[in-house]
Amino acid sequence: MSRFKILLVTLLTSLVLLSNLAFAMTAEEIMNQVDEYHHLKSAKVESEMIITKGNRKLVKKMSSLIKGSKLGMTEFTNPRDRGSKFLKRGDDLWMFFPDAEDIVKISGHMLEQGMMGSDFSYKDMMESAKLTDLYDFKILGEKEYQGRSCYLIEGIKKEGKDASYYRRVDWVDKERYVPLKEELYAQSGRLLKIMETKKVDKIDGRWFATHQVIDNKLKRGTETEYRVNSIEFDADIPDNSFSLRNLRR
Amino acid sequence: MFLAKLALKNLTRHKRRVLITASIIALGMAMFLIYDSIQTGLNELSFANIINLETGHIQVVDKEYWEQREKLPLKNLIAQSENLSSVIKEIPYFKAATPQLKFSANLNNGIDQLPVLACGIDSMTYSQVFTTKDYIIEGSMFNQGKQETILGKKLANLMDLKVGDYLTLIFKTKTNTFNTIDLKITGLLQTNNPKINENLVYLPLSLAQQSLNLEGKITGMTIRLKEDGVAQQVSEDLNQSLASLDNKLAAHSWRASAGEVIAMSKAETAEKLTIMSLILLMAAVGIVNTIILSSLERTKEIGMMKALGLKENEIIFIFMVEAMGIGLIGAILGSLLGSLVILYFNLYGINLTALLGGVGDWGLPVMGRLYGYWNLSAFIFVIAFGVIISLLSSILPARWVARKDPIEAMYGIHN
Repeated sequence: MSRFKILLVTLLTSLVLLSNLAFAMTAEEIMNQVDEYHHLKSAKVESEMIITKGNRKLVKKMSSLIKGSKLGMTEFTNPRDRGSKFLKRGDDLWMFFPDAEDIVKISGHMLEQGMMGSDFSYKDMMESAKLTDLYDFKILGEKEYQGRSCYLIEGIKKEGKDASYYRRVDWVDKERYVPLKEELYAQSGRLLKIMETKKVDKIDGRWFATHQVIDNKLKRGTETEYRVNSIEFDADIPDNSFSLRNLRR
Repeated sequence: MFLAKLALKNLTRHKRRVLITASIIALGMAMFLIYDSIQTGLNELSFANIINLETGHIQVVDKEYWEQREKLPLKNLIAQSENLSSVIKEIPYFKAATPQLKFSANLNNGIDQLPVLACGIDSMTYSQVFTTKDYIIEGSMFNQGKQETILGKKLANLMDLKVGDYLTLIFKTKTNTFNTIDLKITGLLQTNNPKINENLVYLPLSLAQQSLNLEGKITGMTIRLKEDGVAQQVSEDLNQSLASLDNKLAAHSWRASAGEVIAMSKAETAEKLTIMSLILLMAAVGIVNTIILSSLERTKEIGMMKALGLKENEIIFIFMVEAMGIGLIGAILGSLLGSLVILYFNLYGINLTALLGGVGDWGLPVMGRLYGYWNLSAFIFVIAFGVIISLLSSILPARWVARKDPIEAMYGIHN
């Protein structure tokens, strides 16, 4: 009897250990998976941004073409901003305003300002490096969030790397590998922004956050919502769509 | 001599007319003198504002930084070193030097944020170089090593902040990572330089260095000399001694940073000359008019003089002396009038802040009280010009009068 007991215990422990070995992912692997889902090889996206500032509410509709992390073209389609365009090529960002009929390059400190009055900075839009290249991640634990079990993962900026936030804490959905909540901190430890994912959809076999809310903790009464209305992955987009000539058109 | 006496006598014959012509000239001259005085005052004030509040007399920075300085990069900074300090102390007319670390930041009051220029300073040496401390109108200078700040009152009002409140600066470090500093406001500034009132936040240097991950680094050293006029020369000398220390370093006199203001004052000089020529044209028309009128009146007299043997040149001379007299009277009256107004401006000044309602951004860093300047050369210039222009403009009408046939003139036939 006691022999059987010992066998059972050994079996059970080894099973637990084995399953841990087989299933436990490192923080880096998790974040790589997150990056994988988030990264768009090429896509056509119809989206909208709802900017709340006190009592004012602005809705900006956008239609974007994205190719890898380097190329992007966004055109605003809501009546007020119709025809305004952004072009991203590598580390450069240009803007075109139909009223001014002129192309403006956004650089330096301008990149820190909120894009079209939102809580996303131009710089946020520009960041394209893989998260795991910029941060050292570690699992802090597991937590329930929005009724789903999540990995609580902390990333600390790697020494010498160019990253906007010194520390980030992510609640990553264990099944879908989408961050459901993200806290972004300054080097001083101050909480700067909180991003929450309100809706995750499965599109073409991958989980994708289609409704997110960004709360800028340093500005009271402002909030930016981002909704993806439709997305087409792996769309066929020629490289010359991302030219300055196209920006003006 | 007789002719000159005759001319002077002629001057007193039509006192009212002479006076009117002279007063036109006088008014023009006075306007010019006042304009010149105010403009000089404005220039002096803006130069003083730049030196005392922005650049000191000489700045020592990295050569590549200097090219990019408007963008406030965190690259190409210089190391605070004993060697550098001792080289700087060696220069002639040296009074004081202070390190600075400038960076761009967003000023946040918990509700809103605004881009500002943040400046890490060493409060002890800073007040030996800059007069900023004298403009603290509420509270006092911060303590070195504490999380404290002073800023322009205008900026503070805009952000709804007062002494004792806390503000947050958000900025990016050298590696583009956000960082924040919470600072307690210990003082508010109201300087004569709108740029500083609206745009600057001062904090302790060591704190700035630490938060930017730039220990021991500064944007540059700013030097104050004992005299104003020698900055250019001293900075050239300093450049030579810097070359042997570190060939990346360069010294720039305040004039290099004040390019805009200097260009503007040049444009104003051109403006001044245009105004001057208009005034002189006015004066010339007045003189021509007076000479023609008096010659018409005196055709018979002129005919008589010619008949008595006076030569054409002598008649022209009489009229020229008369015109010169009018010019001189005008110039002297104008100088007197101008002096009175300048005296007032010189003693009491004009309060630009009140005048502009604090809106004041004319592109020049000026605010506060503007004092008129005495510019002796301007006085000499207007008097000389008044006389010369009167003289020149009298020649043609005088010739016209002098050439008349004496008989026709005596009969009063005008043609």
